[in-house]
Amino acid sequence: MSINLSICLKRASKIYHEGEIIAGVVVVESSSDVRHEGLSLTMEGCVNLQLSTKNVGIFEAFSNSIKPINLINVTVELALPGKIPVGITEIPFEMPLRARQAVSPGYPGLLETYHGVFVNIMYTLKCNMKRSFLNKPLFTTCQFFVQYRHQERPVQKGVRCEMSGASVRAAGTVPHFSVFADLTSTVCALDAPVTGKIRVDECSVPIKSIELQLVRVETCGCADGYSRDATEIQNIQIGEGDVVRGRDIPLYMVLPRLFTCPTTTTLNFKIEFELNIAVIFEDDYLVTENFPILLLRCK
Amino acid sequence: MPTFEWKSKNQKRKICKALKFEVSHHPLKTNHVLFKKISNKGFIDDLSKWSAGFEEIDPLLKFEQMALDEDLVHADDEGIGVNYAKEWNTRRTIVLNRYTTGEKLTIVSSFLPGGEKISTFSALIRQVSNLNEKVKNRLEQLDDFDDDSVRKTMGLSQQEFVTKINMLNDEIKKAWESEQRVKAFKIGIQCSKLLSDVNVMHFYPSKFILITDILDTFGNLVFDRLCEKSFGQKLVKPVQDINPKEVPETARETCQNWLYKMASIRELLPRLYMEMALLKCYSFTSKEEIKPTIVRLTAMIRGIGNPLVAIYLRAYLCKVASKLLGNECSDYFYENLKQFIEEYQQVYHVAMKKKYEGQLLTLDKYLNIYMPAVDWLFFGTLHSTNCKETLLDQMLQQCQKMQNNELLLCGILSAFDSKIIIKRSTKILDMIVESADKMVLVHDVLTSLGEHLCASENCRQVNSETLIQTWWKIASNIRSTVHFLQVLGPWLQFACTNLSTQHVNIILRGTIRYLIKCGKSADEFSGNLQIVIKRMLGSVPDIEECFLMDAFMPLIELVQTTNARTLMAKTVLSTFFTRYNSLHIDDHIVITSLMCLCCTLHDSINAITVDDETKVCSELINKFVHAGTFHEDFEQQLNFYVECRSSFIKLDAVLVALVQKVNGLAIRAGDARNKWLQRACAAYCYITVPSLHCTITKAQLYLLSGQVALLNNCIGQAEANFKALIGLIPGIPEYILEDGQKKSTNVKVEGILRDFLSTLLVLPDNVDSNCKAYILSGLIKTMERVHWRKTDPRYYNTLLNILDLLSEMAQEDYAHHIDSVLSNDKLYGCDEEFVSVLDGYATDICQELLVVLKALGDNKETKKQYNLTLELFWRVIRRADLEQHSMLTLAANLWMLSKKIQDPNNKLAKSILSALRTSEDLASRQLLEKLEQGVQT
Repeated sequence: MSINLSICLKRASKIYHEGEIIAGVVVVESSSDVRHEGLSLTMEGCVNLQLSTKNVGIFEAFSNSIKPINLINVTVELALPGKIPVGITEIPFEMPLRARQAVSPGYPGLLETYHGVFVNIMYTLKCNMKRSFLNKPLFTTCQFFVQYRHQERPVQKGVRCEMSGASVRAAGTVPHFSVFADLTSTVCALDAPVTGKIRVDECSVPIKSIELQLVRVETCGCADGYSRDATEIQNIQIGEGDVVRGRDIPLYMVLPRLFTCPTTTTLNFKIEFELNIAVIFEDDYLVTENFPILLLRCK
Repeated sequence: MPTFEWKSKNQKRKICKALKFEVSHHPLKTNHVLFKKISNKGFIDDLSKWSAGFEEIDPLLKFEQMALDEDLVHADDEGIGVNYAKEWNTRRTIVLNRYTTGEKLTIVSSFLPGGEKISTFSALIRQVSNLNEKVKNRLEQLDDFDDDSVRKTMGLSQQEFVTKINMLNDEIKKAWESEQRVKAFKIGIQCSKLLSDVNVMHFYPSKFILITDILDTFGNLVFDRLCEKSFGQKLVKPVQDINPKEVPETARETCQNWLYKMASIRELLPRLYMEMALLKCYSFTSKEEIKPTIVRLTAMIRGIGNPLVAIYLRAYLCKVASKLLGNECSDYFYENLKQFIEEYQQVYHVAMKKKYEGQLLTLDKYLNIYMPAVDWLFFGTLHSTNCKETLLDQMLQQCQKMQNNELLLCGILSAFDSKIIIKRSTKILDMIVESADKMVLVHDVLTSLGEHLCASENCRQVNSETLIQTWWKIASNIRSTVHFLQVLGPWLQFACTNLSTQHVNIILRGTIRYLIKCGKSADEFSGNLQIVIKRMLGSVPDIEECFLMDAFMPLIELVQTTNARTLMAKTVLSTFFTRYNSLHIDDHIVITSLMCLCCTLHDSINAITVDDETKVCSELINKFVHAGTFHEDFEQQLNFYVECRSSFIKLDAVLVALVQKVNGLAIRAGDARNKWLQRACAAYCYITVPSLHCTITKAQLYLLSGQVALLNNCIGQAEANFKALIGLIPGIPEYILEDGQKKSTNVKVEGILRDFLSTLLVLPDNVDSNCKAYILSGLIKTMERVHWRKTDPRYYNTLLNILDLLSEMAQEDYAHHIDSVLSNDKLYGCDEEFVSVLDGYATDICQELLVVLKALGDNKETKKQYNLTLELFWRVIRRADLEQHSMLTLAANLWMLSKKIQDPNNKLAKSILSALRTSEDLASRQLLEKLEQGVQT
């Protein structure tokens, strides 16, 4: 006798906005009749915070205080104790996605799904089938994603910078170079690519690679003590080899889903993003320029 | 013992009451064998059915063909317009064939067995990020693979490399089918990464083709699966029919995922290639995005620093675009071309120079690697532009402004139409002049310009003279002789069609000077030189003029080795004769030059030359022998033939032709004043024939020469020829080899003998000899000695014919005469002694024939026996004097014999009988009575 429990969402993308109804079916597949003590479905959303290892020493004292922050927790009863007939049984459900009404201090509301290193925001549906004394209860989960509604596209804030030998504070011999980078906007829409251009005007040594790096900066903790870590999300090469001088090369990066979310600041943590433009010379000498960016949910 | 004496009946020719019967065939009519078409066709069908098994295409090619057809079908659906797929495929094949290498190649992949492990060097800027080791980023996994599994296989030969690539192609399919989509994706990325390696540059275009094939495979797999997801099982729609609105959400989501996955590929080159491969998948999300994406990719290719990698990337982008957009894609071709021109100087960058020099490539070879891609971009750009002229002007302007414009110029020249190129030819040529010393592709550029000029034979160039002069200035400074000759080809053709002979001659002189000056033996370039000469001969308005140029023959004779000379002579001669359409060559210079070439050709033949080769040579020389003429100057003509004989003694076919030509000459010189010439001709033939190998041919030629001599009243020469012919008869083999097949000589021999016998009738007897009918008696004696089987039709038929001749010779007035020749009828006037000699021979032959009859009877060859009986019977009643009782009895006996053997209702027997009935001759009537009596009893 085998029973298979699965959750199937109506929406293929599994992306929901606040206020929408999450609809789907719980599918019970079994080779014989199933007797159960009730079938329930729980919608759960929480923020998991983790401290980076290098900071653990300092924070050990209050490391316990970093508990998951609960964002939503709703349970519905799908079926009363009874029997599910042999074969495939689909039990439809609908649950509204709404933030908790009774607001406790520091409750950030429904945040966007985000998979990071030290901060994870996850939403799951959990289906639980309680069964009689001798049988193990059956359990299945299904992740779904929460996104903010698209907002108006903000005014673009372009940023330009010049990288040159003179602007680099470094010891030893710095090759003579001058590179202009131009980011279309530091306020970026999550659903549109990051664009811009870069131009190498002069460079006395051959260039090996020009790369665009997306970095997340996650801050955990509170005002008293916190850890701040910058990690790479993705690194996109935009120039390979010794590119033509004095010619614009487009910067173009599609922001990855799940690993990015709108720039978020709450009481306990912060998620921020930065872009690095790096020019790597043939001898692996590296010049970077950092641009903090603001991510917004818009097209 | 003969019981009868042959007595020829003396008939009065004038009255001509001789017996005759109707024959069913005209004796002179040749036998036409009519094949029924139907049966013929059936036979061929049968043949092809049997041979079909051998012609089956290579099974590997078959698949390729199938894939190709598929592509073409799609393209055909688009209806009018250019068939980009077809064009691409032709280019694809050319590239694969041309860009090969013997160098060792390297492949880096984690999906192939073997090879040594390498740690993937990743240029990630880890310094910036303090990545937690424990947390492995999923995205990074995607393109870094499992580090330990990446293997590098070095030292692959080209073939091995191709095999590996094909393995990867299969691997992608396998992975895809076993639901390992990410693995397929990774293989795709790895493959496109291989294209950033320009280590064996000369193989790069081929590598590009191989790898883009894999990418196409991958793109199709993704596309087909999305189709399946959208429209159900096995329903693959062409891109045009997909409406994103009809695509279900799940399929769209999958598509979106693919696009995200692609966008996160870390390295630029694989990302671009993969995006291109999956470009058509945009049709599932939103079609409007396709065009902007192409534009974006076009711009992003700027990030590729290596110009070679970049231009091939552009070529692939354009290929994908053309497949997706059909005729709308020409803008993108143009855009990419412009981008290429922008980054053009990169091609000549010092770093690139270091690279190709490191691989021991010369600049021209290096530039050649770019050609397929440049050509493809130009092709697409031009295909739907209406204002090609403006575009060309623009391009030329750009060329003028830039340094090192040769590659671009090359592309321009090979892409644009001749018509508009020609208009600007002066300008282009001037441009070339300016930088000719620096250009390494100058030969290619000049060659294609020359080809363009040649393509327009019709529009006469006003400035062709200046063009040629300018061209010569550049060409004469080309360092490589091979290149020089390559350039010379089209330009010489151009000069031939557009300029006077003097100009061409000057160029030829220049060429000789160049070839001598270049310091190497001309033999090294004989092949190239031949091509040039062939082209020139093909385009000169009047081919004879070639030989009138004083530089032509010296140029041809520049090559020294026998082999090269022979080939050259053959080329010249065959081109000459295909183009030369008048019957005669009468120009002495031309004849001498051709003679010289023919001699070269002849001298090349030796014991080991194959038959076909000899045949070709003989044919060429024969053409010359037939064509050379000195009109009324017979002496010189004969001298010409004498010279030919001494020069072409090794070739029988030529000697045969010569004998025939000389005989013809003897006839032409029929005038009495030319008696000496006729004798000379006869002597020529008599001397020439023995050197032939084939006995039959010899016999034929002896006969012919004898006949001609006779016609010219050179009795002595005729006799000599006939004697020689008779001497040959015993030696004629029963079978000869003709085209490798054994063929019976019977029919030929009989024909020759018959012809000979009828000639003998008019041949006056040799009065000096003490034997009457001197030659004939010689023949009869030979027949007695000859080793032919008695039952051989050849034997008894000849005897029958001799019998005919004998009785004919006994006549008072012969059936035919030659005007100037005094035949035996006049010579002897039925002298009794003469007649009795003839009758004596006739009796002997008759006797011999009876022996043959008996032999046939013994051998049970009734049919032959029967025919021979009737033939003999006919001759007896027709030719013999039936008043002689013995003859009458003989006739009756023969008739009885024939009746005994076979039914008298036979057609021949019947017609003979009816002829006999109508005869008013007394003797015939007697015979008839006797026969009828015999029949009754």
